[in-house]
Amino acid sequence: MEKASKVFGMTILSGMVLLASACGSNNEAQSSETTPSQAATQESKPANSEKKVKLRVITITTDENRNKIMENYIKPGIAEALPNIEVEFEPGGGGEDMANKLKTFNASDDMPDVFWNDAGYFTPLKNTGSIMDLTSAITEDGFIDNYAVPDALKHIDGKIYSLSSGADTYFTPVIFYHKDLFEQAGAQVPRTFDELIEAAKKLKSSGVVPAVTPGKDGWGPKLYLLQQMIQIGDPQAMMDLIANKTDFDNPSVRAGVSRIEQLAKEGVFPEGIANLDYGPSNEMFTSKKAAMYWMFTWELPNLASDDSVDFFPFPSASDKYDPNQFVQFWGSPLNGYAVSAKTKHPEEAIKLAEYLAMADARFFESTGAPIALKTGNATSEPGPLMKKFVDWYNPIPTKIASLALNSLDARTSAELSTQGARLLTGQYAADTFAEEMNKIWKENTWFTQ
Amino acid sequence: MKATMSVFWLAVVCTFLFPLYWMLSMSFKNKGEAYDNPFGIPQSWDVLNFSEALSKYHFFVYFKNSLIYTSGTIVLTLMAGSMLAYCLSRMSWKLNGTALIYISLGLIVPIEVVVIPLFQLIKGLHLKESYLGLILPYTGFSLASCVLMLYAFLRTLPKELEEASCIDGTNVYQMFFRIIFPIVLPALVTQSVLVFMRIWNEFPLAFIIASKDQFRPLTVGLLGFFVNVGVSDWGLIAASMLLSSLPTIIVYLIGNEKIEQALTAGAILK
Amino acid sequence: MNKYYSTRMSIFVFAAPALLLFTVFCVYPLLPQIWMSLHEHDGFRNLGFVGLDNYKDAFANSSFWTAHRNTYLIVGISVVLGLPLSMILALIMDTQTPNLRRFFKSAAMFPAILSVTVVAQIWVAFYEPNWGLFNGILKSVGLESWTRSWLTDQRTVMPSLGLTFLWQYIGLNAMLFYTGIKTIPKQYYEAALIDGANFAQVSTRITIPLLQYVIHYVVILSVLGSMAFYSHVRVMTSGGPGDLSRTVVYQMYYTAFETSQFGKGTAIAVLFVLECLLISIFIQRFVAREKLEY
Repeated sequence: MEKASKVFGMTILSGMVLLASACGSNNEAQSSETTPSQAATQESKPANSEKKVKLRVITITTDENRNKIMENYIKPGIAEALPNIEVEFEPGGGGEDMANKLKTFNASDDMPDVFWNDAGYFTPLKNTGSIMDLTSAITEDGFIDNYAVPDALKHIDGKIYSLSSGADTYFTPVIFYHKDLFEQAGAQVPRTFDELIEAAKKLKSSGVVPAVTPGKDGWGPKLYLLQQMIQIGDPQAMMDLIANKTDFDNPSVRAGVSRIEQLAKEGVFPEGIANLDYGPSNEMFTSKKAAMYWMFTWELPNLASDDSVDFFPFPSASDKYDPNQFVQFWGSPLNGYAVSAKTKHPEEAIKLAEYLAMADARFFESTGAPIALKTGNATSEPGPLMKKFVDWYNPIPTKIASLALNSLDARTSAELSTQGARLLTGQYAADTFAEEMNKIWKENTWFTQ
Repeated sequence: MKATMSVFWLAVVCTFLFPLYWMLSMSFKNKGEAYDNPFGIPQSWDVLNFSEALSKYHFFVYFKNSLIYTSGTIVLTLMAGSMLAYCLSRMSWKLNGTALIYISLGLIVPIEVVVIPLFQLIKGLHLKESYLGLILPYTGFSLASCVLMLYAFLRTLPKELEEASCIDGTNVYQMFFRIIFPIVLPALVTQSVLVFMRIWNEFPLAFIIASKDQFRPLTVGLLGFFVNVGVSDWGLIAASMLLSSLPTIIVYLIGNEKIEQALTAGAILK
Repeated sequence: MNKYYSTRMSIFVFAAPALLLFTVFCVYPLLPQIWMSLHEHDGFRNLGFVGLDNYKDAFANSSFWTAHRNTYLIVGISVVLGLPLSMILALIMDTQTPNLRRFFKSAAMFPAILSVTVVAQIWVAFYEPNWGLFNGILKSVGLESWTRSWLTDQRTVMPSLGLTFLWQYIGLNAMLFYTGIKTIPKQYYEAALIDGANFAQVSTRITIPLLQYVIHYVVILSVLGSMAFYSHVRVMTSGGPGDLSRTVVYQMYYTAFETSQFGKGTAIAVLFVLECLLISIFIQRFVAREKLEY
């Protein structure tokens, strides 16, 4: 055994020496690494115009709309619309999974030709030059003329990175609920935050879960809950936060954070909400295990098929907020189909992205949802729930952009997920959250890029 | 005393086997029953989950990939490892001691830790789009234990073995493959089982390197499938898990005595 | 004879493949790791030399310490709880009839051959708060107040993950111990039996001391195995809620891949390799080091 310990001692020594001696020489190996590999890929596959072009696409696959679009609008017409393109659809999952996947693909220089872009991973893609500015291409081929407001496609740097149906700007978080479950529990549609807590208590004592929302990876808190809880108390503070004019020390922001803590502590959400995925939370609502479903209106067409489902806006927590005056909108010019700047077939990839955006538009149009991309079809009559939504949403004068899409760099976004999930456990003080977030917020590079 | 012991024993065994029962029963339940009756015996035996899993989940692709990664690693590790072990234990090379120390470093470095540079190395070598992208690093990380174990084994063999063939005039390669290889075979079997257990279940590196669906092994493909299903359809998930585990379970049932011997031989040989 | 076979050529042919593979894929990656940890790096571009800043940042980050606490908790669970339990199972197994023993052996190894993803996902269902197994059992025996959301409660998330890990490998370790027990010559027991020693006495005075070598091996295996605890966390909680169930390896991945700070991520990796080295030396020197001859 004496010998063995010597062996280990030597191992470590020799290891150390090796490690120390080689770190200096590694510099050039790293920096020169990317160029030859790019050259090689270009050489090995010359552009081939006679043969079908193969393109790889990654989009969200966890949400039912996306799957419907894929099955009913994208796949059926694609061979006819783009005869020279063979498309390989790769499931991307959703949320953090999708973000991680694209970040990894990007770091490994393995970007798909066309992909669904999102603010959560846009920054690293842009920094590495992996995302194409589509402005000139879609201006030349005239696709841009299909948009009602082409300027809405532009990112803050004035470039166009993604093509969308424009349905995004009509997505907002609301509270869907089962009318019959409310009735059974004797609960009223709440108009204030306190009434919301009351209603939740009644629902809970009637044996149903009051409310669900996806909590895993802090999905709900990051995408809307934090924002809603701040703006129902003070919409101005929320707008300031998105514009980086204030931070998490702001008392109104802190008040919003403590509302989430309160919701978690009062048992508004089910046990284990912080580990609850998108699919299961949806399942809990549609199977009537939960009375409320806090979710964006992109689920509205699916939920509307159940007659007992209705919705109401997030109730107010102060006089400063009125749901008919302020609303959060989801859209960001970044959300939509983007083209990799490294694709070997840029022309075909752009055509494909345009086709996909159009497929989105045709789908949302069929649900009666308002869109910004003209499809040339006659608009269909929206269902009653959709009509109710449009009638409420359209006249609202102040539409506040989403924090999650318009003010977080990749790191801040990841950290907000982390912190938001902890808040949902009800075992994390709002003040600690605010302090931790403030540290991260100070290092946020979104506004300096 | 004997009776209570047996009851205790049975309880322990049930704990180990319960998940198998759970997977089996869950995979026959539809979505509604999965939530209402998650741990009981299925009320109706519904095979729909299996057909759906087979059509949506690229089981055969992932299985084939896992098989290629694992067998590739085993073959390479055993070949390269046994040769180095032979060199270190029987040949007169002045760096024998140093090389042995050097290779034992591999026992300490966890594969998880070098994922980032390894990933860039594989990318730089243009191996990302091939099976070698995982087989080569897996081999690198399996070598240490293989070499050390075979080294210990070979040292116990009498020198006369080679002397006999030396007189016959066979060259070193023939001698190694005809004489030494068959003798160390039991140790090689042990090693293959050890490597199999490690590589078949390896997750972190495969998760990063085999990012393309067509190269994913079962561990990663299965997680991707869970994510896509959205973890709400437990019947479907259980069916896919059962399908993924079936090959290993069958192999294990057939060869479990052998596998046990092999695994445990590792502990004693060292 | 040694001369006859040990030509330069043959030494090269025999030694080169393994040494090359090992060097390129196991040792070499450590070097860019150290280089990268001294730079700001987003996984794609080197944004400049920053000296030891990445290390300072790592130490200043509370998640880094949470991850360490969690990692060493898992190491602790598998050594303090797992190994003794495995040993007890092995000792009892030795007293059983051959048939029972064979049955038990097959069952004990079973969890270890299942894929980590499968095991983790099954346990997610067991821990599920609304219809999961554990809460179901607690409710049925009237301990409603003990039910909880095992994987999101900050007090139970790590022990829950630890239990899953324990369950998966406890049988395997028991098997390793048991095989060690089988190699102990019978005459050691005969003397003790004449003295009228009971099961516990025989175990602690004869069996365990004679198993030093196997114990040493299993300790190294489980300590290094649980240091790198990651896959279960990835599948079961994604490190959540928040950062509460991240392990060191998870924190490293998170920092590098999720926040695109590869420099900081590799700094954590370098520190972690050093920890593993130190722990290996420690075990090598102080744990079960005497090889007993019998």
